[in-house]
Amino acid sequence: MKVLEADNIRKEFREGRGEAVPVLNGVSLALSRGEILALEGPSGSGKTTLLSILGCILTPSSGRVVVDGEEIDSARPGRLPAIRRKSIGFVFQQFNLFPSLTALENVEYALNVKGAKGAGARMEAERVLDAVGLSDRKGYLPRDLSGGQKQRVAVARALAGNSPILLADEPTANLDSHIGVQILEMFRALAKKEDRALLIVTHDPKVRAICDRVLQIRDGLITADGLAA
Amino acid sequence: MVDLATKSLLHDKLRFVITVSGVAFAVTLVFVQVGLFMGLLDNASVTIDHISADLWVTSRNTPNVDFAHTFPETSVQRVRSVPGVARADNLIVWFMTVNLPSGAQEGTLVYALDDFRRWNIPWNVESGDLDDLKRGQYFFLDGSAVKRYGAFAPGEYREILGQRMKIIGRTKNALSFTTTPISFMDFERAQKLSSQQLSNRTTYVLVKLAPGADAAAVKAEIARRLPYNDVYTRKEWATRSRNYWVQSTGIGLNMYITVFLGCLVGIVVVAQTLYTSTMEHIKEFGTVKAIGGGNLDIYRILGKQAAIAAVAGFLLGALMSYAMRPVIAKIDLKLIITPQFAAIVFVGSIVMCLGAAMISFKKVASIDPALVFRG
Repeated sequence: MKVLEADNIRKEFREGRGEAVPVLNGVSLALSRGEILALEGPSGSGKTTLLSILGCILTPSSGRVVVDGEEIDSARPGRLPAIRRKSIGFVFQQFNLFPSLTALENVEYALNVKGAKGAGARMEAERVLDAVGLSDRKGYLPRDLSGGQKQRVAVARALAGNSPILLADEPTANLDSHIGVQILEMFRALAKKEDRALLIVTHDPKVRAICDRVLQIRDGLITADGLAA
Repeated sequence: MVDLATKSLLHDKLRFVITVSGVAFAVTLVFVQVGLFMGLLDNASVTIDHISADLWVTSRNTPNVDFAHTFPETSVQRVRSVPGVARADNLIVWFMTVNLPSGAQEGTLVYALDDFRRWNIPWNVESGDLDDLKRGQYFFLDGSAVKRYGAFAPGEYREILGQRMKIIGRTKNALSFTTTPISFMDFERAQKLSSQQLSNRTTYVLVKLAPGADAAAVKAEIARRLPYNDVYTRKEWATRSRNYWVQSTGIGLNMYITVFLGCLVGIVVVAQTLYTSTMEHIKEFGTVKAIGGGNLDIYRILGKQAAIAAVAGFLLGALMSYAMRPVIAKIDLKLIITPQFAAIVFVGSIVMCLGAAMISFKKVASIDPALVFRG
């Protein structure tokens, strides 16, 4: 079942003198529940812009995006936060945890933003932290966690709230390779188990090993779409 | 519900202390400046507030109680004949020169009445019997005179307008706005001392209304019968006396400017620290947006942080101001902080901090959540 669809996405940015700079030149892709997809490409190829559009952070200049059954209307950008809350979980390269909140609070806060409150939110936060293997680190502040542990918290935050789409931006870039692989495998297992769609933007060749499919993007165009080797 | 606002604010303790200090500084400045000002103004009308007169008859255009002008003492007869007047007596308030044993000259503001007890003045007698004032060249002196005259005790003599007068009593808290010590003597004694100006003259007529009398009607009738005088209710006269000092001298303007500057400093400190904090946490706010939060969520965070800084700063400022009261009292000044005034400053602190947070609101509204993808 398709949970994320992009059809002929184009995106231009205006530079200082008003010149249009094309970043995406007609990208199409689809992602189903339980599917793990890698998006590979060199710097400047449009990966992050595509991720931002698929994650409802940016709207495309043209083309059609359907997220969890809802078509994104560029004319109504005010609707985007609600779609993000309901349907999308992010994992960032820099983890982006709140430094003043403990691991548990970081996850619980994301749930609060999504509308879950009270004991229910606390229990869900505990569940996902247990799932990523951080049962004994729930009360730790990010500064007291290792890079791998921080990324596990970030994964837990993305998983919390049952968003059907998980988007990860270079999740292993700031981790050593051994830890990176461990986290990717855990992430894959959890996504599969909970029937979530997972799209990972990466430079890291090891990522393709855990993915079902790999997309290559270059100069704003998908140049290859195939099964992971 | 996770309280990101509070936790984030308290996470950087130094910045929190700076923010709270900024608010506390502004609050203390406002409390002390306005409190001292109110204390001074209280002195300007303290005798009016304590004298149990319902109406005051003054000479035309008398600006305040200390700067009295004379009019015929027989005016009191006309006042007494007005229906609704239970009692009316002459009161002299007059500046006189005192020769001190050191050879120095000082001033005293003399309050002279025929019967002090009837009008509840002086209201705080430390020693002496007011009835003795009629018995000779006697007077009561307020304890605040120590600062200007040096130590004194009942039984000692001072020369007032060249006449040797015996101090037979001591009062407390009878102060004038100008800090001129207040003394109390018999009405006729005061007229004799300054006979050139005060013979057959008075400076005020104090009026006590009969029970159930209509104050406005009595006031109007007195004004009709004494067309060259002014008539005020106690409240009106106290207000007029206080307003004179506010409007005719620079102290009112000075107070307003200081309060304005204090608030400005508070706003700048809070705005600056909140804005810097916002800039330092910009990626966190971007994350809030990326995970589905809107501008309103971030406004709530900033607003709550500003409110916490306001409450903490207010409490610290109020504490410091209260702690200063005994110190200020030692130099014979009053720091008046009424509950209403404190409530106004509290609300002002909240408004000030929320206003300061508006600058950060503007910045937050322009946050691009895509910044979360930047390294």
